[in-house]
Amino acid sequence: MASTANGESFNFKVVLLGEGCVGKTSLVLRYVEDKFNAKHISTIQASFLNKKINLDDNRINLAIWDTAGQEKFHALGPIYYRSSNGAVLVYDITDEDSFQKVKCWVKELRKMLGVEISLVIVGNKSDLEKDRHVSLEEAKEYAEKVKALHFQTSAKQNEGVEEMFLALTQKMLDDAKKKTAQEQLLIGQNSQRTVTVVDDEVESTTRSCCGSN
Amino acid sequence: MAKSSYSKVDEYGFERPENFNYESYDAFMSEYMGILTRRAQRWNALERGIFKSPSILKRFIRKGIPIDRRRDVWMRISGADNMKQNSPYTYAYMKKQIHNKSIIETIKIDLPRTFPDNIFFISNETLPDMLFGVLATFAHQNKEVGYCQGLNYIAGLLLLATKDEETSFWLLKTIVDQILPQYYISTMTGLLTDLDVLDDLIYKYEPVVSRHIKAIEVPSLGVSKDLLTDTLETISYWLILFDIGMPWAMGTTKWFICIFAEVLPTETVYRIWDCLFYEGSKVIFRVAIALIRLHKQDILKARELGELMMCFKVMRNNEAVIDCHQFMKDVFKLSGNLSKNSIQKLREKYKK
Repeated sequence: MASTANGESFNFKVVLLGEGCVGKTSLVLRYVEDKFNAKHISTIQASFLNKKINLDDNRINLAIWDTAGQEKFHALGPIYYRSSNGAVLVYDITDEDSFQKVKCWVKELRKMLGVEISLVIVGNKSDLEKDRHVSLEEAKEYAEKVKALHFQTSAKQNEGVEEMFLALTQKMLDDAKKKTAQEQLLIGQNSQRTVTVVDDEVESTTRSCCGSN
Repeated sequence: MAKSSYSKVDEYGFERPENFNYESYDAFMSEYMGILTRRAQRWNALERGIFKSPSILKRFIRKGIPIDRRRDVWMRISGADNMKQNSPYTYAYMKKQIHNKSIIETIKIDLPRTFPDNIFFISNETLPDMLFGVLATFAHQNKEVGYCQGLNYIAGLLLLATKDEETSFWLLKTIVDQILPQYYISTMTGLLTDLDVLDDLIYKYEPVVSRHIKAIEVPSLGVSKDLLTDTLETISYWLILFDIGMPWAMGTTKWFICIFAEVLPTETVYRIWDCLFYEGSKVIFRVAIALIRLHKQDILKARELGELMMCFKVMRNNEAVIDCHQFMKDVFKLSGNLSKNSIQKLREKYKK
């Protein structure tokens, strides 16, 4: 993430993860290009699309990374989620296994990236409600427990896609602003501390102060 | 091969891209048809003699195996024939062992997603069945690999070239078990290693390209001196907008996993496979370096990840890549050390 000096431009990296055939690529294509292709081929090599949006007067560029879903390609995951600000963890509401896979990703991301990364758990294919195998309550409860957002989408019928990406962006934006505020607070505290200990160790405090900038 | 300069699909049934340049393709094809005829005559004239001398064989293969001989020559030079002779089980027997529901289901999901715009896969009902047979039989007899996406494209192209299910199975097994070991297992260690080997080679062969891609990768930390000497405006442009990069995996996973299937034009892929079956996986790195070299200017022009990704995406439309005969000449003209041994040493260095 980077921002300009006035704090109005943000560049967020978002990675899509989830089992094969849950609709990751379809969600990105719907969101960025408003297209849907039922015959689309499986993703083997991760791809990338940009989406520019304005939110609360901020100019935001979302760099959306779409990844391969098959279990085999899990080994490549770290290459792609590294330095992500947000992750969209997708499952298919008709496929219980795909929801379990989301749980695996949550564990891995929290372990590798901590709470730095904003998560949204997405139940896709909501148009197939009659074949639902993942309970909405259960999914929502789980999302809440792991501090993730939860959305239901249908890339096919264009339902919930825009809202989902927007909510994730809002969360990343809030987190980024909170982080900046905290950093400024820390700098403030450090300079105060410098004032109080300035008599004892001028050199070392000066150095630590530089380090924190 | 049918002359297809006016057809919307290529000789292997694949749709041509929208902006396909038929004129330059026609020029290439009229020359290539002559080359194909001449090569076929040479193979016919020498026949068994070709296989007696490894150096003649290598030269003949690099110039392209005649289309009607591919099936038999691939089986012979890759060792697939030997594998088949020494196997305790026949293909028919192994095919009868298909039972695992989860494997069957995963493969069936991918059948309609394999070459959905290839006219042979759409119109020929037996082709998807044959593809299923090859993939499912393979998955059951190699439990460590099972089914891995990407194998569908390899098997698909094998079927289009050999038109034979059993041959395609043995060739696929040779590729996965012997030519590209550790690529398709769950840790993908072979692939991860080879991505690092490629990174190393590009750094040696095309340091500017390597720096450019890495400068894009971590601008706030890795801005190279070349960039710093650029105008201040450019630097702030980099620093503000881009702190995302292209891992080599993003541009080249398919180069390795699909051995250029779904990446390059079909005939070019087959010409690469001709060499791969005889000379082994080191050929992939030669092709990779040649491709990077060929697109060097476009890559260097890319200012951000999206543009860079686009360079990799459109390589199949490059006329210099469609002209497979000249392309393969360039691939083997690359000087420097790309021998089996030096690739092996690099693989040891980056072993996972």
